[in-house]
Amino acid sequence: MLTGLVIVSFALPLAGALSSFVSASSDESIRITYGAYALGGLSALAAAIGSFVGPFAGALAPIQAFFFGIIGIGTFLASLYAIAYIPLYRESYASAWHASAFALFLIGMEAVVLSPSVLAFLIAWELMSISGYFLVISERTPDAFRAGVEYLVMTQLGFAAIASGMLLLAGGAPFATWQEVAASAAQLSGVARGVAFVLLLAGFGSKAGLVPLHQWLPKAHSQAPSHASALLSGVMLKVALFGFILSVSLFPGIPLALSALVIALGLLSAFFGALHAAVEDDLKRLLAWSSIENLGLIFSGVGAVVMLGALPQSPLVSAMAAGMVTFVILHTLNHALMKLSLFLSAGTIVAKTHTRDLDALGGLAAAWPVFSGVVLALSLAAAALPPFGTFFGEWAYLQALVLGLSAPLPASIAAALVLGIIGLVGGLAAFAFVKLFSTVFLGRARSEHAAHAVAGERPSLLLVVPPALGALALLGTGLFVLPLLSAQAPLSAHALFASTVLASGAAMNAWLVLVLLGGALLLAFLAARAFASERGARVTGTWDCGTPLTPRMEQTATGFAAPVRFFFRAIVLAEKEVTAEPVVATNPWIAKRRILWSVDSFWERYAYRPIAALVLRTARAMRRMQNGVVQAYLLFMFIALIIVLVIAAV
Amino acid sequence: MSIASLLFVFFQGLALLALAPLVTGMIRRVKALLQNRRGAPVCQPYWTFATLMRKEMTIPEHSSWVYRFVPFAVLGTTLALALVTPSIGFGAWGPSISNIFLFVAIAALGSVFLVFGGMDTGSTFGNMGSNREMTLAALAEPAFFLVLATLAFFAGSASLDGILAFFARTPWHAGTLVVAPTLLALLLVTLAENARYPVDNPATHLELTMVHEAMILEYSGPYLAMLEYASALRLALFGALFMNLLLPFGLATPAAGALALLVGLVLLAVKLALFALLVGLIESLVVKMRFYRMQEYFTLTFFIAFAGAVIVLAHIL
Amino acid sequence: MLAAFAKMISTGSHPDPILLSPEEETEHVGESLRAAIKELYGGRALHIRHVDAGSTNGEEYELTALGNAFYDADRFGISFVASPRHADILTVSGPVTRNMAHALKTAYDQTPAPKIVVAVGDGAATGGIWKDSYAVVGPVDAVIPVDFVIPGDPPSPRDILVGLRSAILAARHS
Repeated sequence: MLTGLVIVSFALPLAGALSSFVSASSDESIRITYGAYALGGLSALAAAIGSFVGPFAGALAPIQAFFFGIIGIGTFLASLYAIAYIPLYRESYASAWHASAFALFLIGMEAVVLSPSVLAFLIAWELMSISGYFLVISERTPDAFRAGVEYLVMTQLGFAAIASGMLLLAGGAPFATWQEVAASAAQLSGVARGVAFVLLLAGFGSKAGLVPLHQWLPKAHSQAPSHASALLSGVMLKVALFGFILSVSLFPGIPLALSALVIALGLLSAFFGALHAAVEDDLKRLLAWSSIENLGLIFSGVGAVVMLGALPQSPLVSAMAAGMVTFVILHTLNHALMKLSLFLSAGTIVAKTHTRDLDALGGLAAAWPVFSGVVLALSLAAAALPPFGTFFGEWAYLQALVLGLSAPLPASIAAALVLGIIGLVGGLAAFAFVKLFSTVFLGRARSEHAAHAVAGERPSLLLVVPPALGALALLGTGLFVLPLLSAQAPLSAHALFASTVLASGAAMNAWLVLVLLGGALLLAFLAARAFASERGARVTGTWDCGTPLTPRMEQTATGFAAPVRFFFRAIVLAEKEVTAEPVVATNPWIAKRRILWSVDSFWERYAYRPIAALVLRTARAMRRMQNGVVQAYLLFMFIALIIVLVIAAV
Repeated sequence: MSIASLLFVFFQGLALLALAPLVTGMIRRVKALLQNRRGAPVCQPYWTFATLMRKEMTIPEHSSWVYRFVPFAVLGTTLALALVTPSIGFGAWGPSISNIFLFVAIAALGSVFLVFGGMDTGSTFGNMGSNREMTLAALAEPAFFLVLATLAFFAGSASLDGILAFFARTPWHAGTLVVAPTLLALLLVTLAENARYPVDNPATHLELTMVHEAMILEYSGPYLAMLEYASALRLALFGALFMNLLLPFGLATPAAGALALLVGLVLLAVKLALFALLVGLIESLVVKMRFYRMQEYFTLTFFIAFAGAVIVLAHIL
Repeated sequence: MLAAFAKMISTGSHPDPILLSPEEETEHVGESLRAAIKELYGGRALHIRHVDAGSTNGEEYELTALGNAFYDADRFGISFVASPRHADILTVSGPVTRNMAHALKTAYDQTPAPKIVVAVGDGAATGGIWKDSYAVVGPVDAVIPVDFVIPGDPPSPRDILVGLRSAILAARHS
C-alpha cells in the first residue's frame, strides 16, 4: 500500500511529463500534466503521513518520511498553482521541455530522500541539480543564463565536494549502503573524518545557501519562474538540509570544533540573509535572501543538536537538545510552507504587474483585499510573529538558549551572545517582511504597471488558493504540530491540545495564544463599537501640507531601508552616486539630477573577487611556461615524473 | 484556569486599562512643573479620549482595508499584553501565556501593525515614521531578548509571572540589586519601545522629527482615540513591569483575598506614579537624539544588557 | 544635571509681581474658556491646528506664547496638534495667499466634524494691509467658512484666549 503510494508519486510526474509531449501549450494539456504532478505530490504526502501513523507506520525512516512529506506538499502547491500560472506565460513556460525538467526535478528530490546507497544518492542529487538548472533558465533571458551558469558552477563544485566527502567516508565503495558507510566511517582516522565533514558541510551548505557560498542563490531563485522558485527555495533547500542531516548521522562522533563551525556558519548566514533581505528591493530576491537567513538558523540548530549530542548527557543538555530538535523540525516545515506560499504569491504579483521591483509596486491592497490578506498573514508568519507556527519554532530555539545560560561559564556567555544575534536577525527579518508587504500592497501604486494592475481584474482563484492553503497550514503547524513535538507527550491523538513543555516549566500552547489574541481583538472591536460616535466617517484627501501628494512622493522600498543601510553601512556596502547635468548653462542650480545607488556584496568584494584576481594572476604567471616549445613541455613532464617517483619512494 | 485566576486577570487588566491614561497625564504634569508651568490636569488624557470618541472620522482617500483594521489590531495586541502583564500580582496565568518571548512577540505584532497604518496612507510623513519605527523595533530586539532571558535565568522561570514570584520572595538586595544593570537596560528598552525621549519626542509638532506621531497623523476621531489609548496602555504596562521588578513589594496572587488585591491596586498606582516621575525627569533632562545616531543608543543598551547578563551569570556560579 | 535641577526648583513659579494682575486675569479667562469647552464637547480638551495662510508671523509669536509658563494654556485643556485630522479648531492667520489657498481648503476639509474655524488677526479678518494685493486671494472667509474672528494686529495671547472662548460659545449657540 505504502510502496504503491511511493511508486505513484514517482510515476505520475513521469506520466505527466510524457503527456505534455503530445500537445504542450493547450490549457487542457497543462491541466493534465500539472494536475498529474499535483496528484503525485498528494500521494507522496499520503505516503509520508502513512509511515508515521496507521497500519504501515515505520515503513520509511522518520527523517525520510518527514522530508518526503515536505516534497509532497511543495509539489502539490506548486503544481496546483502552475495550472493557472503557466497559461499566463504560454510562450516561455508551456513547453514539453519545461514540463519534463519540472518532473525530473521532482523525481530527483524524491529519489534523494529515498536513496539507499551512496551512488543512488549522488545520481539522484545530480538529477535534481541539473534539472534545476533548466528551471532557472526557463526565461531564456541573458540574466537568466548568467544566473543559471553561476548556479551550475556552484552546484557542480558542491557536487564534487559531496561526492568526495561521501566516498571518503565510504572508503571508496560507491555501492555502500548507509549502514556500510557508517561502519566504514568508524574505521577512519580523525583527520580523514574531519576532512570528510568539512567537504560535506561545504557541499550541502553551498546548496542550502550558507555564507560564504550563497552568492548564486538570490540570483538563481529570483530568475526561475515563480512556481519553480517556490520549489527551489521552499523544498530543494530542505533536500540539502536532509543531505546534511543524513551525512551527520553517518559519523560516529563529531568533534566540538566542527559542530561549533556549523553553528557559526549558520548564524553568519542568518545575519547576512536577514540584513540583505532588509535592504533588498527586488521582490523575489528578498524572498531568496530570507531563505538564506532561515536555512542559516536551521543549520545553527542542527549544529547545536550535534554539539549537544557529543557532550556528556545531563538533564540540561537533553532539555536544550529537545528544544533545538523541536525548532529544527518545526522551522523546516514552517519555512517550506512559508517560502512556497510567498514565492507563489510573488508569482501572482509579478504576473499581474509585470515587475519585481518593489519600488515600482504599491497600492494593491485596495484592489485585491483577499489576496492582500493572505500575503499579510504570510508576511507576519515570515516575521515569526504569533499566532503563526514560525513563532513557536523560534520560541523553542530561544527557550533552549535561555536554558543554555545555566551552562558552565564560557558556554553560557556564548548562549547570551547568540540570544542577541537571534534577536537582531529576527528584528531584521521582521523589517524585511514589513517592507515587502507595505511597499507592495499599501499606499498608492508607484508606477504605471502597478496602477494598471490595480485597475485590472483580480487574480484568478487558482492563483490565490495555493498561498492561502500555505497560510492556513502555517497556522496549523503551531496548533497541531507543536503539541506533537512535546517533550512529555508522545505521539498520540489526545496530546493534540497539550502544551509543548521544555524543562524548567517553559511551556507553550499555540491554542491559548490564538484564543488570547483573538479574544483581545474581539474585545477591541466590541469596545470600539460601544464607545464610538454616530458621526461616522468621511473620505477626504491625505494631509499634504499644501503640496498635492503624488505616488512618486511615497517612500519606496529603497527609501524604507535607508536607516538599515546607514546603520550597517560597513557590511552592506551601499554606494550612492549623484550626477548633476545643468539644463541651463547660466544657472547651475537648474539641473537634471540622477541618483545611482547599488548594494555591493560583502563577500563578493572581500572574498570572491580577491580569489578570482589571485587565480587570474597565477594563471598569468603560469602562462610564461606555456611557451609552445615541445622540449620544454617534455622537460616539465620529466621533472614531474621524478618528483612523483621521489614521493613514492619516501 | 480557575475562576479565581480568571477574575484576577480581568481585575488586573481593568486596573491597568483604567490607570493607563493617568500615567501619560502624570508624565506631562511632571514635565510642565519642571518647566515652571502648571500644565494640564493629570486627567487630561481621559478628556481627550472622550472628545475624540465623539468626533467624526476623516479617512484618507488612498487607504485600503488595512488602514481601517490597524486601530483594532494595535489596540487588540495591547489589550492582550495588558491581560498578560503581571501588574497587581502574579500567578494567574500558566507558563504558556505568560512566557517572556510571547510578550516580546505580541509587542512586536502591535508595532508592525502600527507601521502598516503609517504606510497605508500614502503620506510621506507616515512613511518616514514607519520606516523609523521598524528600524528602532529591529535594533531594540537583541537587548530586549537578552534582558528578559537574563531575568528568566536568574529567576529560574521563563514566564513573567514566575520571574515576579521569584523577585517577590527574594530579599531586595539579593534579587533586584543583582540585576540592576539588566533593569537599567530594560528601562532603556522601555523608552525605545514606547517612543519616549531620547528615541522619540512624544510632544513634537515638527513632522520631520516624529516617529510614533508621524504614523498616526492620518487617523482621526475614534480610530485616533484607539491608537492613542493603545500607546498610553503600552507605556503603562511596560512601566508596571519595570516598577514591579524594581520594587517587588505588595504583589497579590489569585489565592489572596480581596484585601491583598486592594493593596496591590493601590501599590500599582503608587508604582506607576513613581514611573511617571522617573520618565518625566528623564524627559526634562535628556534631549532627543538624532535618529541617525540611534545605533549608538541601542549598542549601549545591548552592552548594558550583556554586562547585566554576565554579572548574573557570575553571581550564580 | 544637578545644576539644572537646582535651577528648576529654585526658580519656582512666581511670576513678576507687576504681572500679577494680568495673571489673575488670564486665569479667569482661562477658567471660563475651560467651562465653555466642557459644555461644547462634554470632554474637556480642545485641540488646535494652526494654519498660517500667509501672515507676518506676528500671530504665530502670540500663539506660541500661549504655551509659555505665563499663559500656560495647557492647564485649560488647550493643546496644539500636528495634523488637521486631530483638531477641533482651526486657527488661521494672515490674508490667504494664492499659494496657501489649496492648503487651507484641504486642511479644512480634513478636519473632522464638529469643527470651528477661527480667523486670528486683522489679516485673516479683512486682508489687512494686503487687501486687494495680486498675491492674495482675500480674507479667510473667501476660502473657507469662518465661525469667529479675533481682531488685532496681532492680537495678544489674552485676546486669543478670550476670542477662543467667544468662538466656542458662539458655536454652541448656532
